[in-house]
Amino acid sequence: MAMAALRREGKRFVPLISPTPINAIRSSLLTEEHVPVGARQISTQVVRNRMRSVKNIQKITKAMKMVAASKLRAIQTKAENSRGLWQPFTALFGDAPSVDVKKNVIVTVCSDKGLCGGINSTAVKISKAIHKLNSGPDKESKYVVLGEKAKAQLVRDSKKDIEICITELQKNPLNYTQVSVLADDILKNVEYDALRIVYNKFQSVVSFLPTMATVLSPELVEREAETGKLQDLGSYEVEGGDTQSEILQNLTEFQFSCVMFNAILESACSEQGARMSAMDSSSRNAGEMLDRLSLTYNRTRQASITTELIEIISGASALQG
Amino acid sequence: MVIIPATSGQMGVLPGHMASIAELKPGLLSVHEGNSVSKYFVSSGFAFIHANSVTDIIAVEAVPIDRIDPSLVQQGLAEFNQKLNTASTDLEKAEAQIGITLHTALNLALTG
Repeated sequence: MAMAALRREGKRFVPLISPTPINAIRSSLLTEEHVPVGARQISTQVVRNRMRSVKNIQKITKAMKMVAASKLRAIQTKAENSRGLWQPFTALFGDAPSVDVKKNVIVTVCSDKGLCGGINSTAVKISKAIHKLNSGPDKESKYVVLGEKAKAQLVRDSKKDIEICITELQKNPLNYTQVSVLADDILKNVEYDALRIVYNKFQSVVSFLPTMATVLSPELVEREAETGKLQDLGSYEVEGGDTQSEILQNLTEFQFSCVMFNAILESACSEQGARMSAMDSSSRNAGEMLDRLSLTYNRTRQASITTELIEIISGASALQG
Repeated sequence: MVIIPATSGQMGVLPGHMASIAELKPGLLSVHEGNSVSKYFVSSGFAFIHANSVTDIIAVEAVPIDRIDPSLVQQGLAEFNQKLNTASTDLEKAEAQIGITLHTALNLALTG
């Protein structure tokens, strides 16, 4: 009886809905969280929530890219200028990466923070490969780790080989004094025949080259000078009355700190560059996701309007017919 | 020509100089190019003179001499002299001595 009365007045059959104009109905339907049982409206709430969060992510990654770009600009000139520090040493000593020694120390330079693409993984992969290459019956390699990310990856399987672990390098702006103290610390506490420094060299904003720099101990340099490839070293006259071995001690220590300074700067540059490109692709991804979600949202919205219209029209035509 | 402050004294380097390695002490480095001279104060480092007449000078710190403030140099010298007088351990004495050597060299570079 009640239903017949409702139908006669042209009211819609869904008991909970009052006969207000269509726009108001739609908005009230779409905003309520709890869709009552029996109602046929499609909710766009889920899609809208997702769109809001994706838009926020896009804003954040765009901001992170800008921050990384500005940090990169600040540090790039420093890194390029520091390349001239170790070049004279290579001119004097040459480069001997394939030297075969008993005690290798692998210094891995990485970043503390994440979200910077794959640079930390490549540096760790190369360090592990060098470790494997240099392991044999009486050879040993140890790690000195700079950076939280490398520490996390190396601690998993080479915990006993890690001698020193240093983090929070970039808390203060990088300068030579800080690095020379660090180098001093490493040289005092670690026994080595050859130091191999693994870092990502900064070539351009999008390309980074994993590099290994070799610094030999003074005894090794003397040995190579007598028998090996560094025989030209003997032709250099040493001023000031020091013997060659005394000056070699100072020279190799200075070489190590120069190479470390350059390596840390280049690694920092590569980190910012990698973060820029990672955040850039992230914002682009978020934008594409947002486009797809908008399409879904519009389709859902139009479907719900169409469904309502069909109900009303069929209800009205049922009354007439 | 370059005049470098080696530990054994001021050393002049011309093209064709014999290959050498020299350790530097704090002092004045002057680069003579034609008629122009540029002077730098070098804190310490090394100089490599290669056989192909290329000289590499690697310094921990090098400052163009016109950027040094003479009054601050005097102040520093007085401060380190005082530190040497009040130093008790060998380490403090050594640190004060280094400071004195550096400031004396700065003074000499500015006036000389």
